Amino acid sequence: MEKIKQIPIVKKLGFNRIVLFAIMILMYIIFCATIPGFFGPGRIMSILNYAYFLGFLALGVTFVIATGGIDFSIGPVMFCCALMAGYTFGTYHIPMVLAMLMSVAIGFLFGLFNGFMVSFIGIPPFIISMASMNIAKGIASVYTKTQSVQWPQSASDGGWFRNIVKVGGFPVGLVVFICVVVILYIILNGTKAGRYILCLGSNREAVRLSGVNVKKWMMLAYVICGTLVGIAALYYVAAYTTVQPGSGDQYNNEAIASCVMGGTSMVGGLASIGGTVLGTFIISLLQEGILAYRLGKDIQLIITGLIVIVFVYLDVSARRRKS
Amino acid sequence: MGEVILTMKGIDKSFPGVHALDHVDLELRRGEVHALMGENGAGKSTLMKVLTGIYTKDSGTITYEGKEVEFHNTHEAQEAGIVIVHQELNMVGDLTVAQNIFIGREFKKGIMIDDKKMIRESQKLFEELKIDIDPKAKMSDLTVGKQQMCEIAKAISHKAKVIIFDEPSAALTEKEIADLFNIIRDLRAQNLGIIYISHRMDEIKVITDRVTVMRDGGYVGTLITKDCTKEDIINMMVGRVIYETPKTQSAVPADAPVVLKVEHLNAGRMVQDVSFELRKGEILGFSGLMGAGRTETARALFGADPKTSGDIYINGQKVTINSPEDAVKHGIGYLSEDRKRYGIVVQKSITENSTMATMEEFMSGFLINKGKEKKVTEKYIEELATKTPSADQLVVNLSGGNQQKVVIAKWLVRNCDILIFDEPTRGIDVGAKNEIYKLMNRLTKEGKSIIMISSEMTEILRMSDRIVVMCEGKKTGEIPIEEATQEAIMDKATRDIQ
Amino acid sequence: MTKKKSVFSQELIIAILVIAIYLFIRWRNASFGNYNTLLNILDISYYYVLMGIGVTFPLITGGVDLSIGTGMICYALAGGYLIRFSGVPVWAAMLITVLFGVAIGAVNGTLISIMGLPPFLATLCTCMITRGLGSVCSGSFAIPWPTDTDPTGNGWFHSIFKTTINNDSGLYGALKGSVGALFPMDKRLTFIKAPLGFVWIILLLLLMQFILSHTKFGRYTIAIGSNKEATMLSGVNVKFYHVMAYVVCGLFAGLAAIAYAAYTPTVQPGTGAGMELDAIGGAIVGGVSTTGGYGTIYGTVLGVYVIMLLKNGLPFMGLNANWQQVITGTVLIVAVLIDIIKRRAMKK
Repeated sequence: MEKIKQIPIVKKLGFNRIVLFAIMILMYIIFCATIPGFFGPGRIMSILNYAYFLGFLALGVTFVIATGGIDFSIGPVMFCCALMAGYTFGTYHIPMVLAMLMSVAIGFLFGLFNGFMVSFIGIPPFIISMASMNIAKGIASVYTKTQSVQWPQSASDGGWFRNIVKVGGFPVGLVVFICVVVILYIILNGTKAGRYILCLGSNREAVRLSGVNVKKWMMLAYVICGTLVGIAALYYVAAYTTVQPGSGDQYNNEAIASCVMGGTSMVGGLASIGGTVLGTFIISLLQEGILAYRLGKDIQLIITGLIVIVFVYLDVSARRRKS
Repeated sequence: MGEVILTMKGIDKSFPGVHALDHVDLELRRGEVHALMGENGAGKSTLMKVLTGIYTKDSGTITYEGKEVEFHNTHEAQEAGIVIVHQELNMVGDLTVAQNIFIGREFKKGIMIDDKKMIRESQKLFEELKIDIDPKAKMSDLTVGKQQMCEIAKAISHKAKVIIFDEPSAALTEKEIADLFNIIRDLRAQNLGIIYISHRMDEIKVITDRVTVMRDGGYVGTLITKDCTKEDIINMMVGRVIYETPKTQSAVPADAPVVLKVEHLNAGRMVQDVSFELRKGEILGFSGLMGAGRTETARALFGADPKTSGDIYINGQKVTINSPEDAVKHGIGYLSEDRKRYGIVVQKSITENSTMATMEEFMSGFLINKGKEKKVTEKYIEELATKTPSADQLVVNLSGGNQQKVVIAKWLVRNCDILIFDEPTRGIDVGAKNEIYKLMNRLTKEGKSIIMISSEMTEILRMSDRIVVMCEGKKTGEIPIEEATQEAIMDKATRDIQ
Repeated sequence: MTKKKSVFSQELIIAILVIAIYLFIRWRNASFGNYNTLLNILDISYYYVLMGIGVTFPLITGGVDLSIGTGMICYALAGGYLIRFSGVPVWAAMLITVLFGVAIGAVNGTLISIMGLPPFLATLCTCMITRGLGSVCSGSFAIPWPTDTDPTGNGWFHSIFKTTINNDSGLYGALKGSVGALFPMDKRLTFIKAPLGFVWIILLLLLMQFILSHTKFGRYTIAIGSNKEATMLSGVNVKFYHVMAYVVCGLFAGLAAIAYAAYTPTVQPGTGAGMELDAIGGAIVGGVSTTGGYGTIYGTVLGVYVIMLLKNGLPFMGLNANWQQVITGTVLIVAVLIDIIKRRAMKK
């Protein structure tokens, strides 16, 4: 085992990530073998649809977790973005571009608010998550008068926004997703922001005493997260059209599950963009499989809950052994 | 001294990568105060943790009251009558004094806890110890010294036969230390066995009967205190005679420009109206007892903690420092006394730590220039002789001395002109210590100025060009090195203590 | 001594606040002053208060339990299913409901205390898991518990919380008389429903406050939240008591499930997320420290009533009911801000 880990290519890609990749492939093969009709582009598209929005959520929360924080308002905030922008589009007939910008802007503002409260005021991240979660749900309900919101179909006015997922048979969404992943990878590993975010997640005081404005950088992580949540909202409605007020909680856990599976440590300081992406695909594949088995959303809630528990426990016990 | 109550023989304990205890022996008699000495990391605390059941030993025997014993947790050890007064205070701040003393063995009345009886019993204990503490006070409202007294009262209330004091005097004032010694003498008279861990040589001479010395996890020897000299003990601790000659003359010319001037600095109770000057190329020693406010002064100066008032001038220019960010911009670097918490990010590489304060220098546009980063880091690894296989090594894998060098490198990369070294050699072995001293001297020759906070008198006398002495948050004296003696410093360091 | 006084006055302020809010809304809108409005608010409040009392214990240890909302629904679904479809007697179903809560509490405690998971994360997972389990238990159907007019007589458990007084003699008469005096709005009070549940709440409050301040379990709960390491070194079985804090929390979530079943006509699977917030928010409004080590049960109960009055009273002031969630979120932030400011002031 240890020997395998020392092979250069394994070391470069990360042993854990190779294992995750293998698990993903294995899951796909098992689903294809046991579910008639699972193999084929239709299911792949469906998995991708799920992976886009979940991926943006998971990538966003990866930055927050890297600082040693947490954000479980992302699911409801995503719905809040989709509801408010969609309602505005439907009721006031603003141009689609503005509606899309509005969605991203709402996500950004929530990120700014959470980040400010956590880093400048010092409110514990889990409490601000709870508060934001409810505020997001409440505001969205008030704004939409508790109605569900439909985003336009492809043929109707403004329906062109669905091109962010695919044009004809070409998966534009995948291209966008890959671009965002590359950009985020560079931000996390190649820029000052990423360096500081990871370091302050590991030891905030030491970074502060090096003369770094830690509050600013910590807030940035939440802002990145919020912005990605705003984008995730667009990919959600592009795939599923309708949004209901008052929900979205289950996506928190799926996004966090994607992160911790990918090797991002809940204690902060360690994060992997590639790992999160793999985690996202595994969760998306899992949800598609559960759907195909006709097991229902409940089972998926239970499974993702268990996944998070297992992976966080592995992380915690690995750290305990080290120290 | 009475008969033997406790014998530890051939105690061996390994942690992954460290042989923490190598066949250590210890013998304790009734009515004896037995000092356990050794440098930091010699294994004293580990030995005591093995004794009280926090760690399990790999081999060796513990004989207590004639029977071989093995405790699995502190509770079992307490039940048997072996208690420890910890160096770090183990108090539950939100509970009252009485609740703390009897935590884990509360008196009960039915299912209720009998708080009244606990208060009465605490009162009795305090009377016995002749100390004045309100058992109903909330623990977090007491001073550190009083908390320590509560800890001792708690230990005694266990009907202990063996009490271990782990550096009890570190946070105490002179008066409190005198009280403590009276208590210890009383306990000795009651035929208890006492193990006393301390670094303060004069205390050892005053209070203890025998001394056991440890070095690098091994047993060196046991001496009768009154038959040996300070030097004997020190030689056993370090394994050789220290040739540390104090500086006799300042290396700074009298006309050297003032690079840093601090006027009337105030920050809470621990920093009251502190003023001083630092000259170019000077090492300004900050001496004083534990809790004199030296670290707090440094942190307030550096902007790490808020200050209430005070002016800071750098090269004659008045500057505003409200955060470490401001301080670093003005060319000040700070090496904290607590390296692991405030100095380094242990889970990150040497490179990442070294360049942390100077990221702007390593940016090409938005991206970090990792090649340049590595080159500079490697240069400093070589210059400071940091022992590491590569610049990518995680700092957690380095020894204390090498970790300290990484912190120094961080500020050298930044090219800070004013460096604050807060206990620069704490937890570092003798060899690495000398390297740090050499480095400090070299830095001042290059025109940098250093503020050195140190609790080791020899270090202060050896390194400083001038010495500022603090006591209870106030500056009580400033002594040029030419006139400095241990006695002169001590006199000022205890000035305000009645 | 002076400090103790100021802590006492914090809970006093909250108590005054509760009364002030009530009177203020009553002043702005007279129909809020109906006896039935108050009865209704009390009815809704029971399960929140029960959750609040329970979650105070994890909060004092410096943790949190986010699973109480969905957990409560899950236990109520399980219990209701047993009554409806398995013919289990109501008392047995109630017992099972509570035990289910205890079991999930034990799971939370084990994850946090023994396996070392961060509390918010572990309970976020059990929050999702209980939500899923609730649907599994009920086969994804909404489950009604027996109504209070249920012909089989299975609805008796409603009278735990609300009992009808139709008797003018003795104590009952006195009660009826005083209600009539306090609520002049309601002119035709021939019979009243007495909020018996409130009596239980008071009794439980006293019991749990007693446990918190006068038993080992309570003492160690505070000690763990204040300094876990020191408590462990004092020979206290920290792991056990830490788990127990979550077990008690689970127990109260189970009790809340019964109160919820008595309040709501049907229990819907998939709901419950967000309900924990009112309970946790109430505790924090009531002065429980977010960093652990301090808290009182009566503070929590008062805090929950602050939120209950705001949530249920604001529609009477012409505010859209959808603002309720926003209010809870905002109140939570304000409460934590006060906690932070208080701690900063204490440091000085």
